[in-house]
Amino acid sequence: MSPLRQTRLVEASVVHTATFLEAARALFGTGISAIAVLDRDRRVVGLFTDDDLLGGVFPAYLRELRHTAFLREEPDALAARLEETGGDPVERHMREPLTVEVDASTLHVAERFLHSPSGALAVVENERFLGMVDEVDFVESLLSELGIERTDRPASR
Amino acid sequence: MTYIAATIFVIALAVIALEWVHRTKVALAGAGLMVLLGVLDEEQSIEAVDWATLGLLTGMMILVGLTERTGVFTYVALRVAQLSGRSPLRLVFLLAGVTGLFSAFLDNLTAILLVVPITLLLADVLGISAIPLVLVEVIASNIGGTATLIGDPPNIMIGSHVAELTFVDFIVNLAPVALVTLALVTAILYFAFRSQLGISPERAAEVARLDPARDIRESRYVRRSVAVLLGTIVAFFFHATLQLEPAVVALAGATLLLLVAGDDVEDALERVEWSTIFFFLGLFVMVGGLEARGVIAEVADLLTEVTGGSRTGEAMAILWGSAGGSALVDNIPFTAAMIPVVDQLGESGPFDDANWWALALGACFGGNATMIAAAANVAAAGVLERSGQPISFGRFLVVGAPVAVVSLSVATLYLLLFQL
Repeated sequence: MSPLRQTRLVEASVVHTATFLEAARALFGTGISAIAVLDRDRRVVGLFTDDDLLGGVFPAYLRELRHTAFLREEPDALAARLEETGGDPVERHMREPLTVEVDASTLHVAERFLHSPSGALAVVENERFLGMVDEVDFVESLLSELGIERTDRPASR
Repeated sequence: MTYIAATIFVIALAVIALEWVHRTKVALAGAGLMVLLGVLDEEQSIEAVDWATLGLLTGMMILVGLTERTGVFTYVALRVAQLSGRSPLRLVFLLAGVTGLFSAFLDNLTAILLVVPITLLLADVLGISAIPLVLVEVIASNIGGTATLIGDPPNIMIGSHVAELTFVDFIVNLAPVALVTLALVTAILYFAFRSQLGISPERAAEVARLDPARDIRESRYVRRSVAVLLGTIVAFFFHATLQLEPAVVALAGATLLLLVAGDDVEDALERVEWSTIFFFLGLFVMVGGLEARGVIAEVADLLTEVTGGSRTGEAMAILWGSAGGSALVDNIPFTAAMIPVVDQLGESGPFDDANWWALALGACFGGNATMIAAAANVAAAGVLERSGQPISFGRFLVVGAPVAVVSLSVATLYLLLFQL
């Protein structure tokens, strides 16, 4: 059986008409690093990732800079920028979708993850969105199949 | 075959100018057509490539790319902004000066990619529009790059092609006119933009509080990288005495830096802009086709006919013609095509460098006229667009074209007074 049929899929998506702020809220709510952006027929037209969220909240020139250790904290700047970009359509901030068929082999899914910087893939069946799969869930499902159970996560500081 | 060669080249130039397809694809397709249609055979096409230019470009890209990791260029740009305090005059002159200096000794495309992002941040912190400052920097990069053999792609091509011209020759003959032009043009731009550059005391204080050295302190290889880069620049001054091509100096410096501060060869090679290298490669093959089929000789004959063989007439035609051509199609392909023309013009008599300086000044200063005239302009426009502050072709033209005319007028005076 395909590994994706045994892995937790998260209904993490927004419609393409959603705003940046709505997409950001959806991303927070799922706890994974990317959500799908869907058209009216539930086809995946893009992904909205943690990086896209950062890109929208911080000035666009940040991507062009390589050195920023000299910068100081600006407490109000973030809220001001979020107010600026919050109403943007999510389509302006999303990226090309990375999808994988629900019946894909383990190797193919692993290859897609290795080439996916966001650590989450949109799973589709007959081009329709089924859910997002997180890299950690995929690895956990593989390990559990191999009889390796995870240890309790250390408490965060 | 002559018509086929000329048609391929003219169509390629038009497509590059109109930006319908990426210029590297166009140059490679043009080169491929020259070979496939029999304008050049395979051996001739390989001989047409100026490997010295490609070596010099690659070496400098690795050197600057590895040094950039250390944050030293950001440090310099930031210190310059801090030194300017609240004075827009000082800010404009210092930014133009540092961009011109980086351009002269690194190359102007690299200089723009180093200074424009930090300028966007500075403008944000200072609460002023970034576009006037970026325009000043782009123009300074094209003028500053004129000063040396390695400063601007047209000079790199000329310097790599003409064995008689050394690094020091470029500095002696071009740096003074570049310096005067930079000062004059920066003053004009300051007066044009000063109403947009008001800096409040609070914002200036914010910039003053930044700690520019912080990135450098976090870097492992600052001393080694800067030492090798400076050592390579010093070696350029002595390349003729050492009987080494500038390309060998650049590649030796890059190799040394890879050995002493390059953790990862793959990472270092990623800093080479391969699309630019392949663009040059395609161009050289296309120009080789023009040469092989006599198109270049015909253009040279036409130029001699029009100018009546006058030395002054030829130099002026090259200066203003290459500036106009560069403004229309990009100064790199235009210079690639003009180099064999200038070669042909000089074939009959003893070596005369005046036409080469006219070509360098025309192509580099002409690079300021339009947004597509120089690689540095295109790169700056790209950074601005990605940062959500796009600049239109028209807005660039309104500033760039008058600047190009002023610069070329200074160059004309200089050539008439000191070279002809």
